[in-house]
Amino acid sequence: MNIRRTVITAAGAAQHELPLQRLVDRDGTVKTALAIVIGEAVAAGAGEIAVIVRPGSEEAYRHAAGHSATRLELIPQSDPRGYGDAIGRARRFVGDEPFLHFVGDHLSVARGERCCAEQVVAVARTEGCAVSAVQSTREHLLPFFGAVGGRRRHGDHRLYEITTVLEKPTPTRAEQDLIVPGLRAGHYLCFFGIHVLPPTVFGLLDSLADEGHRQLSPALALLAERERYLAYEVDGSRYNLGTTYGLFTAQLALALAGADRDEVLSLLVEQLARQP
Amino acid sequence: MRSSQLVATITAVEPAIRNRSVAALCETADLAMLLAEAEALDDFRRTSPNLYHRVRALFFLYAIHRFHLPPLLLGRGAGLVPHAGHEHLLARRFSEAIGVFLEAQRTSGPSDALSSCLAAAYRELGLQTLADQVRRSVRSLRGNQWMFRIGHPGEQPLRIRPELLAPGPDGTFPVLRESTPVRMDLSHAGWSDIFFLGMDFPEGARVLNISIDLAVHGRDPRPRPPVEAWFRVIDSPVLRLTSVDLGATAEISDITEIFEFGRDYLGLLKAAVIAAGVVPPGVEGSGIGLRELLEQLAGPGRGVELVSHVNGIPKGSRLAVSTNLLAGLIAVCMRATGQVTALEGGLTEPERRLVAARAILGEWLGGSGGGWQDSGGVWPAAKLIHGVVAAEGDPEFGTSRGRLLPRHQQVPVAGALQESLVLVHGGMAQNVGPILEMVTEKYLLRSEAEWEARQEAGRILDDIVAGVAAGDIRRVAAATTRNFRGPIQTIIPWATNLYTETLISEVQRRFGDRFWGFWMLGGMSGGGMGFIVDPGVKCEAQAALSEIMATAKHDLDSALPFAMEPVVYDFAVNDRGTWCELRRDGTAGLMPPGYYALTVPDLIRSDHTRLSPARRAELEAFGTACRNDAAFGGLVQALFDRLFPHGGGSGTPADLHTLLEELGFDDVQHERIRADLIAGRIGLAHNRLQASATVEDVADGDVDIADSPEPDRDHLALGQDALARGEVAVVTLAAGVGSRWTQGAGVVKALHPFCRLAGRHRSFLEVHVAKARRTGRLHGMPLPHVVTTSWLTHRQIAAAGLPVVLSPGRSVGLRLVPMTRDLEFAWTELSHQRLDEQKQKLRDSQQAALAAWARQTGEGSDYTANLPHQCLHPVGHWYEVPNMLLNGTLAKLCAGRPQLRWLFLHNIDTVGADVDPALLGRHIAGGACLGIEVIPRRIEDRGGGLARVDGRPRLVEGLAMPDEAIEFRLRYYNTLSTWIDIDRLLDLFGLSRRDLAATDSAERVTAAVRRIAARMPTYVTLKDVKRRWGHGQEDVLPVTQFEKLWGDMTALPEVACRFFVVSRLRGQQLKDVSQLDGWFRDGSAAHVERLGDWD
Repeated sequence: MNIRRTVITAAGAAQHELPLQRLVDRDGTVKTALAIVIGEAVAAGAGEIAVIVRPGSEEAYRHAAGHSATRLELIPQSDPRGYGDAIGRARRFVGDEPFLHFVGDHLSVARGERCCAEQVVAVARTEGCAVSAVQSTREHLLPFFGAVGGRRRHGDHRLYEITTVLEKPTPTRAEQDLIVPGLRAGHYLCFFGIHVLPPTVFGLLDSLADEGHRQLSPALALLAERERYLAYEVDGSRYNLGTTYGLFTAQLALALAGADRDEVLSLLVEQLARQP
Repeated sequence: MRSSQLVATITAVEPAIRNRSVAALCETADLAMLLAEAEALDDFRRTSPNLYHRVRALFFLYAIHRFHLPPLLLGRGAGLVPHAGHEHLLARRFSEAIGVFLEAQRTSGPSDALSSCLAAAYRELGLQTLADQVRRSVRSLRGNQWMFRIGHPGEQPLRIRPELLAPGPDGTFPVLRESTPVRMDLSHAGWSDIFFLGMDFPEGARVLNISIDLAVHGRDPRPRPPVEAWFRVIDSPVLRLTSVDLGATAEISDITEIFEFGRDYLGLLKAAVIAAGVVPPGVEGSGIGLRELLEQLAGPGRGVELVSHVNGIPKGSRLAVSTNLLAGLIAVCMRATGQVTALEGGLTEPERRLVAARAILGEWLGGSGGGWQDSGGVWPAAKLIHGVVAAEGDPEFGTSRGRLLPRHQQVPVAGALQESLVLVHGGMAQNVGPILEMVTEKYLLRSEAEWEARQEAGRILDDIVAGVAAGDIRRVAAATTRNFRGPIQTIIPWATNLYTETLISEVQRRFGDRFWGFWMLGGMSGGGMGFIVDPGVKCEAQAALSEIMATAKHDLDSALPFAMEPVVYDFAVNDRGTWCELRRDGTAGLMPPGYYALTVPDLIRSDHTRLSPARRAELEAFGTACRNDAAFGGLVQALFDRLFPHGGGSGTPADLHTLLEELGFDDVQHERIRADLIAGRIGLAHNRLQASATVEDVADGDVDIADSPEPDRDHLALGQDALARGEVAVVTLAAGVGSRWTQGAGVVKALHPFCRLAGRHRSFLEVHVAKARRTGRLHGMPLPHVVTTSWLTHRQIAAAGLPVVLSPGRSVGLRLVPMTRDLEFAWTELSHQRLDEQKQKLRDSQQAALAAWARQTGEGSDYTANLPHQCLHPVGHWYEVPNMLLNGTLAKLCAGRPQLRWLFLHNIDTVGADVDPALLGRHIAGGACLGIEVIPRRIEDRGGGLARVDGRPRLVEGLAMPDEAIEFRLRYYNTLSTWIDIDRLLDLFGLSRRDLAATDSAERVTAAVRRIAARMPTYVTLKDVKRRWGHGQEDVLPVTQFEKLWGDMTALPEVACRFFVVSRLRGQQLKDVSQLDGWFRDGSAAHVERLGDWD
C-alpha cells in the first residue's frame, strides 16, 4: 500500500486557530502545531499535504507551515458542513490512493522513537487496509471522541478488527456496542486523530444522508461493514489542543518527552516549591 | 442413611422428577425421615453452586418446617425461640440465624417453636437470594453498568443534547414531552411475569400485554396516553422536580436529597433521574455537589427540570401506571442526554429494552417492585412477552436459566376487543406484594394443584392470543373467565374477594348471556378489572357498572378497604408506544397547565425582580395562554384557590368536634392525658414494667395442658351438661378496626370477608356466628352470642343483621399527633425487621419525613386532618366486658336466662376458638374466676405472653416487657380467649346479679367499673392510620392513642386465674393478611370449617 498524501482538517469553527499556535517541539525548537503535524506526516512518508482551512485563513496557514509551506495545498472549505464534509473536499487532491489523515487540533507524542503517524502508516502498509489510531480512553471522555468496537487480533495486542464505529457515543450505547475484550472496565477505544483511509471513504461519505452536517464516523462505520478496517493502539498519547489547558498539557507532554525534559522538570519543581 | 428424595428432586434433569410436589413427598414421612431430609437439604443448599438449586432447597426446608413437621411435633411440649437467632433474623443475617436455630435443635431437640424459627429464616433467605440475584442482573446489564462507576462530577459522561440547550428568541428553553400509554395484560399466565419465575422457568413465563390510552368514562372527551413526562433545561443550577398529579414540587440543590425517596411525593421522579444516569447511582454518598454535576451536563449555571403528569388515572388501577410513568420519565431523560437516538417520535427496539431495564433499576432504587411486563406501555399495541433462556454471553448465563429481560413479540390485535371490553377500577387499592411472594413460594415448591394450574394458565394464554388475533372476543372472554375461576384462584385464593364476586354476579344477573366473561387485571381483583360484554350492550354495561360498583362499594365500604370511588374507563389500543415531541417558543413551549397551578403561587409571592429571564418569559407566555388557550382555561380560579385557600368539605375539625360532643367525649380527661404526654410523664417508654420486676417463664405446674385431641371425659361431660342447661354465652370482641389487617384503612374487621369458607366468602363475625350456631345445635340449647362494639363499629355491625346481641361501647378516644420521642423510641429502641437495602433506605427517609410532620403539625396536638372516624379510636378491649355491665347487656342476658354462669370471651380474629365443652368443663372444675387460653409460642407470636411476674403467673403485654429479650424466655403466648365465671367477676367488681337488674344501680355499677379501671395500666401506643387523597393516593401516618387491655386482669391479686394450653388450630389469631395463605394451607381453615353450621 502506497501512502503518499496527507489530509489535515483545520476548518472547524472552534479549531481553526489551534494549528497556528506556537509550541516548543521535542527537539527544543519553536514551531506551530501545524508544523509539528506536517513533520509527522513527512516522517511517515506522506509528504504531499492538503490542509482543509476556513476561507480567508490561507495566508496564516502558509506562514504557520514555515519551511514546509511549499509542499502544502490549502483547500478552503466554504459553506462548511461538518467534519465529513471537510474530508470530502480533499477528494480531488487524494485521487485514487489511500491517504494519511490528521485532525488539526490534536498533537500526538510517541513514547518511542517512531512518531505515531509512522506507526499507523507502517501497519497500514503491512496489512494493506484502512487503519485508525486509537487510544484506550475512560468513559467520561466519550463526549469528545469517536469510538470503535471490535476484536483484538490474535498475536498482536495492539491491533483490532473494527466492527463498529460510533461518534461521541453515550456510555449507555458504548457499553452495549463497543465493549472490547481485554480493555479495563469503563474504557473504550477512542480515535486518536490519525487515520489511514482508503479513497472509497469519499463514496461512503456521499452515501450518507445530507442533514446539513456530515460526520466522518458514520462513513467509517460503513467502511467497517464493507472493507477490512483495523484499529491500532499506538505507542503514544494524543492531546486535544481545544480543551481547557489543552495547549498547555500538549506543551508539557512535548517538553517532558524531549531534549529539555530536565530543564522543564526543574522549572516545575521550582514552581511547586514557591507555592505556599 | 438413605439418599434424600428432595435433593434428588431438585437436581433431577427429567422434568417429571424435577417437578414433583414437596407435599406429596413429605406427607407419608415420619419425624425421623423429615429431619433427615431437612439435614440433607441444608447440607445441599450450603454446597450447591447453582443459585436456583439453593433457592429451591431453602423453600423446601421452609415447607418442611412450616407445614410438615409441626403436626408431628404435637404433644412434645412448648419450646423456646432463641433470642440470638431472632436478633439475627431482624438484622437480615439469615444464615447466622439458621445456624443458631439448628444448634438449638441439636441440643434441645426439635420443637414447634424451633420449626417456626427455621421456617421463617429459610423462607427469608430464599427470597433474599432471589432478590439479590435480580439486582445483580439489573446492575450487570450492559448499558447500566457505567452508572455505578461514576463517583465525581468530572466523570459524568452524559451531555444534554444541543437542541435543548439553545434558548428560543423569548429566552425560554425548548421542552420535551414524552407521552406513554399504560399496559393491560389479558393474561399473565399465573403471575409468570415475576422476575424469579422468568429467570428460573423462562419457558413458562409468558404474558399477553397491550398498550392502551385511557379516559375516565363521562369525564374525559377521549382516550389519550395517560402518562406524560416533561423535560427542559433551566437557567438555575438546580434539579427542579414536579409531580403535577401529586401536587408536589421541589428545587433540589443537594445531591443527598435526590436519594431520599421517602422524603416527599417525588420519589418516582428521583428514581427516574438516577436510573436515567442524569444523577448516576454511583454518586450516592460521594459528597459531591449537584451544581458541578449539572454544569457538566448542561453547562455553567444551568439545571434540569422534570415534570410528571398522570391524567387523573387512579392509583391501583392494575395498569402499571407508576411503572410506565417511571419508564416515560426515564425515556425523556435518556432522549435529552442522547442515550436514545431520536429526540422526537418513537423508540427503536433496543432502546425500548434499555428503557425497560432502566425502569427495573428505578423500581429497585425506589424500593418498589413489579413484574417484567410492567413497562409494556413503552412498546406499541399488543405483544406477547416471554422469557428467554440465557445463552453464553448473557450476564445471567451460568447463574439462572433465564435472562432478566424478556423478549417482546408483536402480535395482531383485532379492534373487536375495544367494542366489548368494559374496563373499570373497582376502587380497592391493595398491596400485591404478599401475593407475589406466595406465588414464588408455590412455584418453587411445585405444589401439585398449583403446578397443574400453572400449566393450565399457559394453555389459556394460547387460547387468548388466538382469540385476540382472530377478533373472537367470546373466546377471549371464556378464556379469561376460565383463567380467573381456575388457575388464578387455585394458585392464589386471595386473588378474588366478596366485592369482585358481587360485581360479577350482578353483571351476570343483569346481562345474562350478553355478559361474556370476567377478566382480572394484574395481581389481584378489586382494582382494575374487565367485564367483556356483547358489543351491542357495551354502552349500557358501562353505565350499569358505574351503578353496580357504586352500590356494592356502598354495601361493603366498612368491610373492605376501598381507596376511592369506582370508575369506568374508555380505552383505545395505542399503536405508537411511548412517543416524544419537542415543543418550543411561547405558549407551545409551556409545561402542562396543572404545573402552573402548583408553581405560579410561589412565583407570585417571590420578588419578581429576581426571576431569571427564562422564567419571566415563561410567565408572560403563561399569561397569554390563560387568555387564549382553552387548555389553560380556569387556571386563574385555581391559582386564586391556591393563593387563598378556604375551608369546608367533610372531615373538617368542625364535623369532628360536633361528633365528639354527641359521643360524650371526656375533654377534661383528654387534656390531662395530653399534658402528661407532652410533659413526658407518659409515653411508649413508660408502658414498661419496672426494671426491678422479676419476669420469668411459668413453671410446668402453672398451666393445664389442654391441647390433646382426646379430651378428658369428666371435663367433657361437665361442659356438655352446662351447655345443655344453657349456662353459657359467648362474647366476641369487635370494637376494633383492624389497624394491622388493612394498615389503618379503618374497616370494621368483624365484617371483613377474609376467606372463602364452606363455599363462599365469610366475614370474621359470620365465622363466629356459625360456630355458636353449631354449638347450640349440638347441645340442644341455643348459645347466646354477644358482640361488643364501639362507636367505630356498632352501626355497621348492627346493619349486618346477624343473630347476635350487641353490646355497644361507650368510650372513645381522640388520636393525637405523636411525640417525636415516642416515634424515636418505636423506631430505634424497639426491635424491627430490617428491610432489604433499598427498602430500608426508603423507610429511613420516610421516618425522617414523619418525624418532621409530627414536629410541624404539633407534637401532642389533636389529630384531626382526616375523616372523623379515622381520628377516633377505641380505648382498648379491657372496657368491653365492663361495658356489658354498664350498658345492661349482661343484665338482659341474665334476665332472659337466669341460669347463665359462664362467658367465653374471645377476640374477633381468633377464628378457631369455639365454646369447646371439654375446655368449659376444665374451667368449671378448676373453679377460677378467669380461665385463660394460651398457646405454645412460635417466632411470629410477638407481643407478650404468659409469665411469672414477681412469682405470680399472669399475662404480660408486649408493651409492658421491661426488656424485649425476656419475651423469648416465655414458652406460652396469650390468645386472649377467656372463660369467665360471671359471679366471681361480679364479686371482683363488688357487684351482684341483683345490682345488674336493679333500675337504680347505674351509678353503683359505674363507680365499680371506675374503681377497677383505675387499677388497670393505661398504655400509650402508636397506630397507623391512612389518610386518603387525590386519585386513590394514601398516606400512612403514625398516631398516638391510649388503651387498657384485658390481659391485665390477670395481674389483680384477688382474681383467681387458670391457664390452659390449647392447640394453635384453636388459638391462632389472624392479625395480618400475609398470615392467611399459611393458615389456609396448614389445615386451620379446614378445622374452622368443621366447627361451624354454615347455612
